Amino acid sequence: MTFRILGAVALLAAGTSMAQAQQLTPSPTLDAVKARGNLECGVHLGLPGFSFADDKGEWTGLDVEYCRALAAAVLGDAKKVKFTPTSVQQRWPILQSGQVDVLSRNSTITFSRNATLGLNFQGINFYEGQTFIVRKSANAKTAADLDGASVCVAAGSTEEKNAADWFRERNLKVTITNFQKNDDAIAAYDAGRCDAYTAGVGALAGQRAKLKTPDEHVILTQPISNDPQGPVTRWGDERWQLIVRWVLNGTIAAEALGVTSKNVDEMKANSKNSEVRRLLGAEGGFGAMMGLSDDWMYNAIKQVGNYGESYERNVGMGSGLKLERGQNQLWTKGGLLFTPPFQ
Amino acid sequence: MAKALALINDKRVRDWLYQIGLIVLLVGLTVFFVRNASENMVKAGIASGFDFLWRTSGIEVPFVLTSYTQADNILSLFWVGVANTMLVTVIAIVLATLLGFAVGIARLSSHWLLSTIAGAYIEFVRNIPLLFFVLFWYFGVIAALPQPRQSIGLFGVAFLNNRGITIPLPDQPGNFRWAALAILISWAGYWLVSAWARRRKEATGQDAPLLAIGLALIVAVPALALAWASLATAWDIPVLRGFNYRGGFVVIPEFVALLAALVTYTAGFIAEIVRGGIESVAKGQTEAAAALGLRPRRILSLVVIPQALRVMTPPLTNQYLNVLKNSSFGAAIAYPDVVSLFMGSALNNTGQAIEIIAMTLAVYLVIGLAVSALMNWYNARIALVTR
Repeated sequence: MTFRILGAVALLAAGTSMAQAQQLTPSPTLDAVKARGNLECGVHLGLPGFSFADDKGEWTGLDVEYCRALAAAVLGDAKKVKFTPTSVQQRWPILQSGQVDVLSRNSTITFSRNATLGLNFQGINFYEGQTFIVRKSANAKTAADLDGASVCVAAGSTEEKNAADWFRERNLKVTITNFQKNDDAIAAYDAGRCDAYTAGVGALAGQRAKLKTPDEHVILTQPISNDPQGPVTRWGDERWQLIVRWVLNGTIAAEALGVTSKNVDEMKANSKNSEVRRLLGAEGGFGAMMGLSDDWMYNAIKQVGNYGESYERNVGMGSGLKLERGQNQLWTKGGLLFTPPFQ
Repeated sequence: MAKALALINDKRVRDWLYQIGLIVLLVGLTVFFVRNASENMVKAGIASGFDFLWRTSGIEVPFVLTSYTQADNILSLFWVGVANTMLVTVIAIVLATLLGFAVGIARLSSHWLLSTIAGAYIEFVRNIPLLFFVLFWYFGVIAALPQPRQSIGLFGVAFLNNRGITIPLPDQPGNFRWAALAILISWAGYWLVSAWARRRKEATGQDAPLLAIGLALIVAVPALALAWASLATAWDIPVLRGFNYRGGFVVIPEFVALLAALVTYTAGFIAEIVRGGIESVAKGQTEAAAALGLRPRRILSLVVIPQALRVMTPPLTNQYLNVLKNSSFGAAIAYPDVVSLFMGSALNNTGQAIEIIAMTLAVYLVIGLAVSALMNWYNARIALVTR
């Protein structure tokens, strides 16, 4: 008898807790975005290929397009994004204080940022290696040839510490001059203050175009570090983190599954592949599980495109930066991009 | 009850109550804000507290006066920044005062060209933002100087290029310590002699040969001491190797540019203070001195300047404090001052904005209060003593 009652109570308890699990945990960020009608996205001040505003104020770039995909997934419209340009110094406080919903800004994921800044990194949209730009006349082939050189760098960037560590470990002497902004650092390099300027290879490719005579400078091919970068959220809103993470995964999965902005309608209607159908909302109800509409990734891919399309358009061979896919290729093609399955 | 009422009606008691109330309110507000901030930071997962000061900094600094290396902790990095801020501030104050006095006196000169040039300089400087000066000196100076391989050599031991001025550094600084001691002693000697001369003049009216003694004690002794120390020391002379000169000490262009900007900018304001101070001395004073048969230069140094100084000291204090604050413009051109190193590099590396900004503010507050305390002491000393 007692056992029976206990069993019934246990069942009842399990039942209530399951009913509660059906209800989505609240997401203040998502609610705010929906109420506001646009996504607030923190981006770089101006880095061609990643985040750059043209003379009409139109933002383009790989990091910018991630935000557009997120806006399309959340609000159904890739245009509903307000971009906030942030300097190296402003980027974390602007996210921590809630002025932006997500930061997509060419910033390296590091342990201490994750552990002490109240930040979460939601995946990787660009694998980057730090390297140097030098004058061709300097005859440097690798970073080790820079012994005795002076190097300009943005203060407080991971590059500043990486470079200092790298040269110290090898007993090479370089003078590192720290500027407050990337633009100041590269301007000083251009003015002849430094023999080299250091940043990620993607940033260097973009910034080379800003130099007075781009052809007289060469980017060293051997990177001295690995700097993975991706969208960043603040702590405390798990469901929002889930959305930010899976929109990124979705754009990469779309490329792996062969879904593009051109064939997305056809794929949604005719594809026999269940993963494609779940991704595009034809089955499974995956959008609803996060509090979005089921065509979340359909909208993102239809309006922005998959990761590969975005890459080619902004930093790849079809763009001014002409960066090889390299590490940023799908794992099936020799790169590092990999997403968990849409199951 | 009546006693309590009487107490409240007492003005002194009431004043005390107001003061105590205000202090309690201020302390309460501060506690509220600090607690609120720290609670919110804990909620947002942001680390707080000053433990980060003992983490290894890992930041390379191109211009260090302390024994800092990048393997030291962030607190050491902080002191590097403070030392660099103080260095540029102190030198800029001294040079700006000298230049400002020269321009201010030139402005009052009866020589038309001199006074016009000084006037034009003052108007030019006062109407242009300091940031412009800083950038002008930095990019102007850098663009004009040659690359390291084409350095301008000075006597084959110092080299000037767009990476700065590389000067030889003594291998053993011991001799220079003795020289510095000798210089201090001879300066102290001059101070004693001039005090004695002043007392004698006040008592007997006789002049002492102060100029000759001054030349010997202030100029000749230090020159000899430095010459001896330089000759008796082995030097680390810079040599061109690879990209740049190795060895020696590098005075970086950021320092030179910031110093030049602060000096030229502040001198314009000091010149006006000097002019105002001198013009505030009644014309009758000059005429009376002239009637006594004093020559113009002595009128200036004995009658006019001492009286003008009283008017000039308070606004000069403001200018000195401005130099201190304006030294933070160095961050715009990568001069490693406390703003650039601590609020720039260290803040970005640790993300502990509140602690770091508070510490940086405290630096400016402490140095600023020290400068004004010094100036107030000086002001009190030269104040007109009425008997």
